[in-house]
Amino acid sequence: MRLYDIVVLVTPDLTDEDAQKALGDYRRILADGGAEFVKDESWGRRRLAFPIGRKRDAFYHHFQVKAEPALVSETERRLKLSDQIVRHLAVRADEELKRSAKMAVRIAKKTARRPPRPPASPEAAAARAAAAEAPAEMPERSES
Amino acid sequence: MMPSRSGGRSGSRDRDGKPSQRKKFFVRRRKVCKFCAEKLEYVDWKDVKLLQSFIPERGKILPRRISGTCALHQRKLQTAIKRARFVALLPYATD
Repeated sequence: MRLYDIVVLVTPDLTDEDAQKALGDYRRILADGGAEFVKDESWGRRRLAFPIGRKRDAFYHHFQVKAEPALVSETERRLKLSDQIVRHLAVRADEELKRSAKMAVRIAKKTARRPPRPPASPEAAAARAAAAEAPAEMPERSES
Repeated sequence: MMPSRSGGRSGSRDRDGKPSQRKKFFVRRRKVCKFCAEKLEYVDWKDVKLLQSFIPERGKILPRRISGTCALHQRKLQTAIKRARFVALLPYATD
């Protein structure tokens, strides 16, 4: 089972209900194939950033599902066939999330290794600032 | 130390009166990667608001040297923007 983000754009020519009905078909395909819905949200009718097939807006819907790869490719095939679907995009999300979780852990470790300094840092910073100011002032004083 | 000071004296320091700040005309603010600062490891391609802040008027992807994004996050941002473009959340180009 892998986690997928699937965004579907339905034609604006349909009414809200018909659009939902069209989406229902795909929801059923996914559910019948044993997909587990993590997210199933409609973004409503949105304006497209550029026209696609003479259409200026579309109904956006976002599914986040845990499913087998074969099921997702089958759903994609059907999305492609339908002329009610303006466009769709299915992207695997688990790898990215796993990698970023790993990165987050690594960063957390890195910051955890540092703490010995921070308690002393306000004073150290002040000392450093004083040190930085001093040489700048010194030549001036010596010159004047 | 000595030669540089004498050089400064022979220069235009008397006109400004601030010899130590001759070279620094203005202090540039250090740019920090937004994703590192906010600890956003995953760049979501569905988050239009976030991505839009990296898209100037023309619709091109804002270069790293301007936004200050780190290499890792710029790469992630790049794919996120391209995905968002495909589903028409963001424009490829505008004029």
